[in-house]
Amino acid sequence: MVPQNEITPVRIKFSKTGDLMYISHLDLSRTMQRIMLRAGIDIWYSEGFNPQPKIVFAVPLPVGVESECELMDIKINSPMPFEEIKERIQNNFPSEMKVIDVYSPTQKFKNIGFIDYTIRLYTNASSEETCGKIEKLFKSECNIIKKTKSGEKEINISDYVKLAEAKNKASYIEIHAILSADSERYLNPELFIEAIKQNLNIMNSDGIEEFSTVYRNKMLDFDLNEFV
Amino acid sequence: MQKNISNILKSVQKPGRYTGGEFGQIIKDKDKVKMRIAFCFPDTYEIGMSNLGVKILYGALNEMQDVWCERVFAPWTDMEEQMRKNSVPLFALESKDNVKDFDVLAISLQYELCYTTAINLIDLAGLPIYAKDRDESMPVVLGGGPCAYNAEPVADFFDIFSIGEGEESLCELSQLYIDMKNNGTYTKSAFLREASHLNGFYVPSLYNVEYNEDGTIKLFEPKFDDVPKRVEKRVVEDLNTSYFPLKPVMPYIETVHDRIMLETFRGCIRGCRFCQAGMVFRPVREKSADVLNAQAQEIFKNTGYNEISLTSLSISDYSCLNDATDKLLEWTNKNKINLSLPSLRADSFTKELMRKVSGVRSSGLTFAPEAGTQRLRDAINKNLYEEDLLNAVRLAFEGGKSQVKLYFMNGLPTETYEDIEGISVLAKHVVDEFYKMPVRPKKPVQVTVSVSCFVPKPHTPFQWEPQDSLESLVEKQRFLGEKITDRKVRYNWHEAKVSRLEAVFSKGDRRLSKAIAHAVSKGIHFDAWDEYFDYDKWMEVFEECGIDPSFYANRRIGYDEILPWDVIDIGVNKSFLISENKKAYESKTTPNCKEKCSGCGANKLGKELTWCPKMK
Repeated sequence: MVPQNEITPVRIKFSKTGDLMYISHLDLSRTMQRIMLRAGIDIWYSEGFNPQPKIVFAVPLPVGVESECELMDIKINSPMPFEEIKERIQNNFPSEMKVIDVYSPTQKFKNIGFIDYTIRLYTNASSEETCGKIEKLFKSECNIIKKTKSGEKEINISDYVKLAEAKNKASYIEIHAILSADSERYLNPELFIEAIKQNLNIMNSDGIEEFSTVYRNKMLDFDLNEFV
Repeated sequence: MQKNISNILKSVQKPGRYTGGEFGQIIKDKDKVKMRIAFCFPDTYEIGMSNLGVKILYGALNEMQDVWCERVFAPWTDMEEQMRKNSVPLFALESKDNVKDFDVLAISLQYELCYTTAINLIDLAGLPIYAKDRDESMPVVLGGGPCAYNAEPVADFFDIFSIGEGEESLCELSQLYIDMKNNGTYTKSAFLREASHLNGFYVPSLYNVEYNEDGTIKLFEPKFDDVPKRVEKRVVEDLNTSYFPLKPVMPYIETVHDRIMLETFRGCIRGCRFCQAGMVFRPVREKSADVLNAQAQEIFKNTGYNEISLTSLSISDYSCLNDATDKLLEWTNKNKINLSLPSLRADSFTKELMRKVSGVRSSGLTFAPEAGTQRLRDAINKNLYEEDLLNAVRLAFEGGKSQVKLYFMNGLPTETYEDIEGISVLAKHVVDEFYKMPVRPKKPVQVTVSVSCFVPKPHTPFQWEPQDSLESLVEKQRFLGEKITDRKVRYNWHEAKVSRLEAVFSKGDRRLSKAIAHAVSKGIHFDAWDEYFDYDKWMEVFEECGIDPSFYANRRIGYDEILPWDVIDIGVNKSFLISENKKAYESKTTPNCKEKCSGCGANKLGKELTWCPKMK
């Protein structure tokens, strides 16, 4: 047993981009356990019949979303300089993941209130007019069916949208969005896109011509300050 | 990634199958390498990435500076649909480049039921499926793996086959390709002709085959004097020095065998008469305990896996097993790594071994008696006694296990209904063994009896045997179900129709390529998957092609007949196989290679062999 006072909490901020957006949260968390073992990080294991390395992620990243602001907490059994942890983990990351920072956590994950996204809609309907409609959409009531663990329920999605600014970029529309992300009121960006599609009746073609990309820029607390 | 590929991934299940980009994948500069190989496993990513052969060959080929070998797996049907709809041809995971533009498309043939999937992949790459229709600009299509020991049913689709173990020979083939390209002598046909002179390569287009009126082979011979009459399989002589992948690619998504796989030895000393692996991997060659342990430590460091599996055809026959497991356990326990030993024989299961594999996450135990009575076990040369099995299960029960799985086969040569009933009796005895113990594990005993159907395989003593008829196999399965009355015994059986199709292809000849091409054109593939296996559709295919499947599956072949696979020399003499076949009918066993050399002939293939006494 390691004395309790020697166990150090460590927060790791990293990016996950490119093809890696297709790797699910579950697969990432198994991969992360192996990365820690490879990196030789003396990570704290849960106790019990089947001990598992304890790794906690802030807000699970949905499949199809890229991010440069992922956060994960581990505990280490013996102290190691943050710079060394950073280097060791980076050496064992696949090429589309980068360690951005390693530090001592000061805030709890439950204080995450929102996430800041860049969403691009590659659509034939890309125009100033569409942009205006998108911004207007989230300024009044906009109901959509949300699937939850306990079934389906209708929500007013505008309650979950703190900001939605749309810009016409000719071949696509770029939306800067700030969406609810606390555990009680998490809004999946796919649902945000779905609301636009349904209400504006755009991007109906099934194929590879029209598609969307989602990028997580930063996590925010309830006061919209950056969460670290 | 090509934008098209990236976008279609949004609409398929498990996109992680197609992204590549894993830790450990090998990326090279395509402008600097001289040869690009697309190494293709014709099944899903999860299955292909679990194959040790793929890992070995991927690593060995990429050790060559001038070669870049990439991975290709069969896209699942939803992905294939998207690819065809959006004109995305088959691509390799590392570069996402079209397979069509590679120098070589190498396809691993692990089981007969992957044939349609394999041929469909050639089509998905945008290439003509028949070798004769592919021109100079198209890749050389190379086949390999266990099915290459009788590749005749797919011979017309491939340019060349690698026979036997490929880690050395494929590098030689690659060097030949590079040299011929360099000195300007390369044409596909010149290359194939030259390659037929290398050890371990079979070029089917260089042989003439003629048939008798009754459908048997009249003549099978090379078209040219310089082409070998028979192709001798390749073996790696020394497993201590041969290439073994120490930094395997780490999949993100869960694969079938998501763990460290350590090869302990090749070949098998046993010689069960139905077993193809036991014949074609001869002679036995072992890795030393020290090399094994060093490799394990290195792979652990490079992967972070928490399970090590020691692989072989029969792990308890590994002469260094005790030494090797001791060395491993010294460091695996404290790193919370589980050790697993698949392919245990019941007659060598000891208390000590039991203790060693009783890791944190261990489940039940599996043994393979194969037949229900001593007489039939002797006929198939299993060399296992009921007492051995009961001893083994007692040890397992004493060690706290309460689940035992037993593998058997139906339809073995000389089998009677008494033998089938014997399976239920044996299972009952295993259950009784549990209740004989004064102190028993808390969990109730469960014995699972899993019964497959015998498929006669080329290069085995049973290669001349007919497979039982479909009706008879089904009747035997039903009969056994009636005999198993104990509620502690669970009974599973394999679909007999699947085994029949396997039998057709395992002993097939070149005339079957027509059926495979026809099946692929009808959209048949993924035959090994229950949800896609369609026996009636296959029977339609055979009928439309004028092929009688019984000719291949259910006919007794004469000893003097020319066999489609006679062109392949596995090192074991035909006279040995014939004598083994005859002994089966007398229920006579043959000692294992450790006890006594039976003179099979395979010892001519290696220099310093562990078990072959004649070589010492």
